[in-house]
Amino acid sequence: MTEMPKNPEVDERIVKELQSIVGEKNATAAKHVRYAYSYDMSFVLPKMPDYVVMAETVEQIQNIMKFANKEKIPVVPFTAGTNIGGLCIPERGGILLDLKRMNKIIKIDAESHYAVVEPGVSHGQLAEALFEHKLRFGWPVGPPSASVSSCAINHGIGGLNARYGLNSQEITSMEVVLPTGELVRVGSCAIVEDAWHSTLPLPKLDGLFKGWLGSTGIVTKLGIAVHPIPPVLKVFTVSCNNVQDMYSYMNNLANYEICDDLTAVSWWLAQVPIPYPYREKPEDAPEWFSFANTNSFTEKEKEAREEIWQMVVDEEVKKGTSLKVTEYPEEALKARTQLPSQIVGSTKNYCKMAGAGISWPGTFTPANKWSPVYTEWKRILIEHKLSPSVRMSMYRGVHYGMLRAMIPFNKQIPEENENARHAIVECLKVDLDNGGIPYKPPVDFGHEINKRAHPGYIELLKRVKMMLDPNDIMNPGKLAI
Amino acid sequence: MDWNIPSLKDLEHYFWRCTACGTCRSAYDYGPPPTARPICPAGTEFGFEGYYSSKGKAAYARGIMDGTLDLDDPEFLEAIYKCTVCAGCQNQCQVDYKPHIPEIIEAIRREAVEKGAGPLQSQQNLVKSMKNYNNPYQGPRRVRNEWTRPFKKAKKPIKNINKSPASVLFYVGCTGAFNQTARAVPTATAEIFQKLDIDFGILGENEVCCGSTAMRLGDAAEFKRVATANLETFKKLHEERGVSTIVTSCAGCYRAIKKDYTLSSDFDRMMAGIEVIHTVDFLHRLVKEGKLTFEKELPWTVTYHDPCHTGRHLNKFQVDREGTELWEGAYVDIDESECLYDKPREILQAIPGIKFKEMDRIRANSYCCGGGGGVMTGFGDWAAKNAGIRITEAMETGAEKVVTTCPFCHYNLNEGAKRTGSRMTVHDLTELINAVLPEKTP
Repeated sequence: MTEMPKNPEVDERIVKELQSIVGEKNATAAKHVRYAYSYDMSFVLPKMPDYVVMAETVEQIQNIMKFANKEKIPVVPFTAGTNIGGLCIPERGGILLDLKRMNKIIKIDAESHYAVVEPGVSHGQLAEALFEHKLRFGWPVGPPSASVSSCAINHGIGGLNARYGLNSQEITSMEVVLPTGELVRVGSCAIVEDAWHSTLPLPKLDGLFKGWLGSTGIVTKLGIAVHPIPPVLKVFTVSCNNVQDMYSYMNNLANYEICDDLTAVSWWLAQVPIPYPYREKPEDAPEWFSFANTNSFTEKEKEAREEIWQMVVDEEVKKGTSLKVTEYPEEALKARTQLPSQIVGSTKNYCKMAGAGISWPGTFTPANKWSPVYTEWKRILIEHKLSPSVRMSMYRGVHYGMLRAMIPFNKQIPEENENARHAIVECLKVDLDNGGIPYKPPVDFGHEINKRAHPGYIELLKRVKMMLDPNDIMNPGKLAI
Repeated sequence: MDWNIPSLKDLEHYFWRCTACGTCRSAYDYGPPPTARPICPAGTEFGFEGYYSSKGKAAYARGIMDGTLDLDDPEFLEAIYKCTVCAGCQNQCQVDYKPHIPEIIEAIRREAVEKGAGPLQSQQNLVKSMKNYNNPYQGPRRVRNEWTRPFKKAKKPIKNINKSPASVLFYVGCTGAFNQTARAVPTATAEIFQKLDIDFGILGENEVCCGSTAMRLGDAAEFKRVATANLETFKKLHEERGVSTIVTSCAGCYRAIKKDYTLSSDFDRMMAGIEVIHTVDFLHRLVKEGKLTFEKELPWTVTYHDPCHTGRHLNKFQVDREGTELWEGAYVDIDESECLYDKPREILQAIPGIKFKEMDRIRANSYCCGGGGGVMTGFGDWAAKNAGIRITEAMETGAEKVVTTCPFCHYNLNEGAKRTGSRMTVHDLTELINAVLPEKTP
């Protein structure tokens, strides 16, 4: 790992002040504590915070923010640190605000189908609680210990993308502490204290806090829509020899909106683990596999979905594509359908072979660009001796979706870290130039986004940021503006 | 005798396999129904990432190796001992780091001890006591035999194996011998053996600590000293006294002899012809052979606490060290067959009158009592607080008694019950067996 940059001297006065807010045991400048927050699994180089604070109440967060704002100390919010964009690695030191102890599920309204959670609530925790009501949420292929709230507010995806949309589209209300310490609410809970069911028809102010990478405020309560669990699971699996054929199938099937998740993965991503360094796919193996998860309430409903799916398969075969109905590798399928999952969540799927590092060009890209982008990505990644372990997922009701390459690397070796970073940034440029936009972007990506951005967009971004965070203390530097 | 105890540097490849994904923080099972439970006592108590599970320990190891973290820093030193080394996190990990996690935590401590920084001041007496008395409890050697006095008084003396041969050595362990509460464990074990006419003996005052505590604290030199002495004793007893089985009712001793002693290059030679077995396993065999049957009834509602050292610490990991099958250092598979999960439960449920209830966190995901890894000595208050969490979990089952098979857990869970003001009582499985086993007919 690259040598840790030296941090400025710790100011004991600041430690004391923070301790007076959260208690002596919950604020520290101890180096060993700070060190453990200095890196994540991504290629982002390690940087230490100057202080680490654990908050347990909204009032504590408000007081921390008021103090930090007065002193102009950066604050980096942290829940589980499981993102792969270096989002919680401090760019300018400051206070690392660990929210994992704010882990209460405040409410599950099984009748109105929403839940209210604190930022430290994990997917595993919520999955257990919702299951008691036979309810579910869009569980991502992340660790079960990852935060529901952080995933949703950063436009994370889940296993119900194709049915209900992104997890950020499931947000129904928010309570937020602003960088200046004031407490605000958006959505129905702003009007009626205990009503967390909808952000509409009010102005969608939740947009001030979604996709901002924790740079506009700290979400202290989040309302999310939750859904019944249809008991009949049917997973349709096919393979294709090339990306264009797979795109054709997914595009066709997506028209009918019968899937909870419509995803395809390249041969390299279907391996558990992803090969590292790159190795050639066996000649007789298809290059793409798809799983289309469907959940039905009755057998008849399932049969109707099957009928549609079979029609699509027949049409694709008639077109002369390479599509075949096939078995999906067992462990990989389990990892994708039994969510939250320890297989993908623990990165066994991703980096067991490489060691310690994983990053991605993770993007939202028009589906008709998947094929040309993948072709370029494959070239770039193989040149860097990295597997083109790519996933494509169609979002709800559109021919547009997630295109990403999960790239494992050996983080112990700085050259390998840099090789991955270089390849991934190159891939990202290709995607951006094809109309894709990265989500949960590391700063390297932010620069590439902003280079291409309309000047009015950057100006608006700056104005909104300035309005909410006049001293630029919230996770500064992450937006690369 | 050569010992192959790895340094932190030797293990560097493995702690660099940690991806910092944080899966190790909670015991999650897809189910259905899904369950997610806290599994790390240190993380639960202290909260900061470094304290949490194996993710945090990988950070510490990396920080030591890259020179950022200094073991002379008293706060950091304390932090490396704020871990019960329970291996709960290890059970969650899925990557190549997994097989080596407790070893890496202990290698960090060994680094501290070698540097002259560790263990903690509060643990120093324990180490001194090992050197002076061959036990960690500062107990004069003669006190080792105190628990046997009632046997003598009842004219049922326990054989001293140095004086009379026996096929079974009952290796009592320091906790059972010196800790007043835990003396119930060897007492019940010996009574059962006598009732069953087992030809057994003890080492008495000559028993030497197994070295588990020293190993857990990172004092490799002290561990090697006592372990070497024990291996020599065992060999001698086999050759001169006919010992073919060593039974221990202490989970810590069992783990040490069964696992840590294999780090000796001479283990196979020294232990040839000797089987090491935990009391539970030993008695379970007798149950299966029909030699141990329960006649009396015990109308108790009980739950069972799996000790870490008779459970997941006995996992065997298949690692492709040379990379011949997968890649260098690949974690291939896990073998749980030596973990004592089913046997104590089967015995419990075979006792007439017992109503058995399971806690939420059991078997490989058992929540540590909080006493291991030197925590009971170093941080007694936290150890008892954590035990209180486990006692509360036991209470929630509706059970009135918690049963375990480790004198360490036995003692610490008792402390937890006291601290929480619970009426829950803690018992070793041998106490229950002894209670329903009729006296030997003359």
